[in-house]
Amino acid sequence: MTGDLTREMTTALPLRADGSKLRVLVAMSGGVDSSVVAALLVEQGYDVVGVTMQVWDYTSCDIDEGFGTCCSSVDVDDARSVADRLGIPFYVINCEAKFQALVIDPFIEAYLAGKTPLPCVNCNTYLKFDHLVQKMHELDCDYLATGHYARIEENQAGRPMIVNSTDDWKDQTYFLFTIEPEIISRLMFPIGHLKKEDVRRLAEKQGLINARKKDSTGICFVGNKGYDNFIEEHASKDQLKNGSIRIFPTGEVVGEHSGIHHYTYGQRKRLGAHGAEPMYVVKIDAKAGEVWIGEEKHLYSNSLRVVQPHLIDDFEDGERLKIKIRFQHKGSWGKVFKTADGELSVEFEEPVRSVTPGQAAVIYRENQLVGGGWIV
Amino acid sequence: MEFSTLRSNNRVYMDHNATTPLSQRVRDSIPSWLDAWGNPSSIHQSGRGPKALLRDARDKVAQMLNVNPLEIVFTSGGTEANNSAIKGVFETFQRETVKGSISGRPTRNQYLFSSVEHPSVIRTAQYLEERGAEVRFISVRRDGSLDLDSYFELLSEQTALVSIMFANNETGNIFPIAKLAELAHEKGALFHSDCVQALGKTNLNLRTLGVDLASFSGHKFYALKGCGALYVRRGLQIESLIHGGGQERHRRGGTENVLAIISLGAMCEMREVVAPRMSAIEALRDYLESSVLKQISGVQLTGAQSPRIGNTSSMVIDGVDGETLLMNLDMKGYSVSTGAACSSGSPEPSPVLMAMGLARSEAQSSLRLGLGWQTTRAEVDGFLETLKVVVAHLRSFNAEKDYT
Repeated sequence: MTGDLTREMTTALPLRADGSKLRVLVAMSGGVDSSVVAALLVEQGYDVVGVTMQVWDYTSCDIDEGFGTCCSSVDVDDARSVADRLGIPFYVINCEAKFQALVIDPFIEAYLAGKTPLPCVNCNTYLKFDHLVQKMHELDCDYLATGHYARIEENQAGRPMIVNSTDDWKDQTYFLFTIEPEIISRLMFPIGHLKKEDVRRLAEKQGLINARKKDSTGICFVGNKGYDNFIEEHASKDQLKNGSIRIFPTGEVVGEHSGIHHYTYGQRKRLGAHGAEPMYVVKIDAKAGEVWIGEEKHLYSNSLRVVQPHLIDDFEDGERLKIKIRFQHKGSWGKVFKTADGELSVEFEEPVRSVTPGQAAVIYRENQLVGGGWIV
Repeated sequence: MEFSTLRSNNRVYMDHNATTPLSQRVRDSIPSWLDAWGNPSSIHQSGRGPKALLRDARDKVAQMLNVNPLEIVFTSGGTEANNSAIKGVFETFQRETVKGSISGRPTRNQYLFSSVEHPSVIRTAQYLEERGAEVRFISVRRDGSLDLDSYFELLSEQTALVSIMFANNETGNIFPIAKLAELAHEKGALFHSDCVQALGKTNLNLRTLGVDLASFSGHKFYALKGCGALYVRRGLQIESLIHGGGQERHRRGGTENVLAIISLGAMCEMREVVAPRMSAIEALRDYLESSVLKQISGVQLTGAQSPRIGNTSSMVIDGVDGETLLMNLDMKGYSVSTGAACSSGSPEPSPVLMAMGLARSEAQSSLRLGLGWQTTRAEVDGFLETLKVVVAHLRSFNAEKDYT
């Protein structure tokens, strides 16, 4: 059994200047992680306020909605049940317009441009760690807590930093690179030091309704219908047109596709009679509407370019750091450089497979999140 | 299971247009009313008691409204009463087709509504339109006045029914029902009024008002939820919404919600008390409004230039998001309402406020208060102080970018 399951409670919590309890705004998705966060904080003696962000109009969803999606109406009810049980204020805040404009629309745009987007980062950037931070201030809370698998630790200079969670597999620091460093002292990740099975055990112990609820995986607003179906529902006909499939690097046309949105970088493509070698999507030319496939060796890169970098901590130009190029990637060692035009470039020590445009390159110094940016 | 969030110590309730607490007389009487569990339609003695109580309640409601008990049809609430009235008239006209018309065109097919009706009326109106009716909405101005010219212009021999509420739930505005009904009758049209927000807030004399149909709701008047009434003028026969076992003289099937109906009847006994109570509440409301205007900058009242029911106050508070305001006030123990996009459904702010010409942002920044019979001066003073603090706090942050 892992060490202590809850934070050290040997010392009493500090209070506010007026003697009242510290207040924490907890972002509740209806899932077991954020529910346990709320329960833990209540147990530890904080004044807790639960919020769920309503990110879409439930009435417009199909019947499938409610299973395996995040923030669906069933999930809101689950969050509310947990709040009822804990006896805490609970609110559903309407973020539909913002979510549509800043998460869904860019997702569709990126997909149609042949990229593999990462909408969870946008949700963190603009909704969780912008909108909810604003709400934290407006509701006179001292902290904002989420159920992310991440931890906050002070570095040698005494500045709070985001570090990997105890649970390697669930670690979500990959999605947190856009957090503003000034805000970190107001954040809490109360389950970041726990493993998933401990979180579930705590949920059971507390009698929380969603203790055995399946984890939501994939993108919350796409649900079970599949990415290409989702894109089809939201794009115009001429953005989904057919086009050629070409061999890389010769350019030879070997077939036709029914829309680039059916393909992602690195995807394996079987060609039937065309040869024994498995082929992979190595480039998507959205402008020309063409999909390029090539042998596996073409999937490897020695370097990458990072645009719109966001740094939580600084680094030395050329410093040897670990870079993750997708969620749950083990990480690859490389040297990170700052370019003249405000971007970053990475030179890997070993060739890295499937560096995918649209994904994020996230930089770590040992277990500490340094920052990240977008792969082009 | 814990429902600690339902405990209401130190809570000040200022949302009486959404619903009302049970009055003490209802609370005290419920235990004895529980014995009336029998079916009023039963022939045997177990039904006699409930049947008598039902009759008694009906008499009281009729007396409150100055109508005949036979003209009162009990329903499950205001929404059902509105649906029954509008769909009832519609279905009746569907059967009255123009002679020789192959398509079965109804003799009258136009339905007029105000643009600020309750969703149970607006949605029903939209339903009628889908069914082929000609539906028009009369606009209400920002100052709370109905566009009478437009009403007069639209009224015609084609109008089957006009439905305009007595008092609006958002702003409290009262419309000149007697006049509107008279004009409707001149053109041979029927007139229905949703009086849900009026019962218990003003004296209602349906006889002099001249309406053909009117809706009422128990839970807006300190009675139990689950019952309301539809007044149907004697001599008027409309299609039923709910067909069944012949209850309510075959006008509305289904075993009656006796407990709730008795509670409504009990409240209607308090007829004499309505005017003086309302007078006191109105004074409190006016005091609240003048204090807010004096002590908080950037506040504009909505609909205050036109006649209003005495307990309601709707105001736009600049630089403040209604949803966040509500949450803050809730955490400080005040139950209020806003015009902001409702978190449990529509992403749109109050359709009523926007129909009156307020901008989206103004509707989003609107606060609605509904004072009640138990609201005290001390509560209002406490609310004022809290509102000042919260508004100052919220205004100290940058305004949110509007993504719409």
